[in-house]
Amino acid sequence: MDAVKTFGKTLVASPERQVEADSDMDIVRRVQAGEVAAFDQLVVKYRGRVYSVVYNLTSNREDAADLTQDAFIKSFQSINRFQGQSSFFTWLYRIAVNSTLTHLRKNRLRTFFSFEKINEDDKVSAEVIAALTDDTGADRETFARELQEKLNEAMQKLSIPHRTVITLFEIDALSHQEIAEIMNCSVGTVRSRLHYAKQLLQAELQPYIRR
Amino acid sequence: MKESPRKTTVSLEDLLRLKRAEQPPVEFWDQFEQGLRTKRLAAIVEPRPWWAPFIRSAARLSRYQLPVGATAVLAITFLTVREYRTADLIQVYEPAGIEATAPASMAAVAKGSVTAADAAGARSVASVPMVLAEMPVRPVLSAEPRSEQASRASAMVGSVSHLAPVPSELSMATYIAENLAKNKPELDRVLDRPVEPLSQVNMPGESRRSRLLEGTAWLASAGSASDSSLRTSEQATRHLNERRLTESDVISRLDVGGDHLGVKF
Repeated sequence: MDAVKTFGKTLVASPERQVEADSDMDIVRRVQAGEVAAFDQLVVKYRGRVYSVVYNLTSNREDAADLTQDAFIKSFQSINRFQGQSSFFTWLYRIAVNSTLTHLRKNRLRTFFSFEKINEDDKVSAEVIAALTDDTGADRETFARELQEKLNEAMQKLSIPHRTVITLFEIDALSHQEIAEIMNCSVGTVRSRLHYAKQLLQAELQPYIRR
Repeated sequence: MKESPRKTTVSLEDLLRLKRAEQPPVEFWDQFEQGLRTKRLAAIVEPRPWWAPFIRSAARLSRYQLPVGATAVLAITFLTVREYRTADLIQVYEPAGIEATAPASMAAVAKGSVTAADAAGARSVASVPMVLAEMPVRPVLSAEPRSEQASRASAMVGSVSHLAPVPSELSMATYIAENLAKNKPELDRVLDRPVEPLSQVNMPGESRRSRLLEGTAWLASAGSASDSSLRTSEQATRHLNERRLTESDVISRLDVGGDHLGVKF
């Protein structure tokens, strides 16, 4: 059992993640011991990241909220079966991603977008929008909205596995190893999917790319 | 938007980083919490379906897909080979033209009930139609002496074997002879008079159709006969008229008198 746990820990990418995984495991043990309220700590800790992944996969804020809640419920129901072979966050991500993929496959024909607003305080996004609007002299807010729509459209044109990989890598900043673990595939597959998805997005978003 | 330092290049990664900035407002999380709490309560209260444990155990088994699958394939292969061998044992016979020897299974069944005394009589009984080889297998449990049975069989079949006497063949011959005697009339009927089954089938409207066709044939024949007779009479009349014409022409057109000669046109 210890060997399995050690192997699970080696899959965690960085030392920060290692510390995070250890603290998560403590909380999980408390929940498993019957302290149900401790689960709320995990919810508060991961709700933003899980929501972000699901939202970027669906491009629909209502669906994202529902699916995130479902992921937490499922993890709560199955927490007694969680043995720590992977980190809690990987396990939770896997539940969320799988629920989202099932949802997307079920509603393949129904594509309805509802976007979150771009956070104006975010430094990187402000820089990017400024760089793009300086040449054209367009209104930044209008341009930001248009760019957001184009980005989401381009994302939705990707297949579900490619979209998942690009979301987890570029938006959620997970490592190849973590993505492979979440998606239950090899690191090589993750890399090739990532490469292909980037090529497609590059072609779609060519008018917004400045070299 | 806030003023930010000038950035000249924009890569795909920069564009995708914009997606990170798509965050819900703070009040959204209050609603989220409320919804989650309600759902969690519902999940606790709601009874789990009876098949949930099975799904869980199936999910556990899915880890061992390869060994379970390999075992299943091996088991199926073993059973198939075994069945195939059994079938082979049942169907073993010598396909020498129309003649056939006893199947091995029959031999196995009757093996215990054969004595050496059977050999002489049953030796001659070896040539039987293939059809007989498919008859149901029953051990011979007759009170009649086996030598008598064998001689009767040889008398009925009447052909002499060139094969070596094997106990199984002997008992088989006895058995065949018995069955042959019992089913001889039926066998004769089946083997001697092969009748095409479809030729025996009468269509429902067949009799009516044949009746109608008979009537039509009679009418047709009658009509053709009258036609031909009519044609013959016409020809005869025409022929007679021509003759009469020429004759009358000779007679009436030439009016020959003593003092005159008249020609009619």
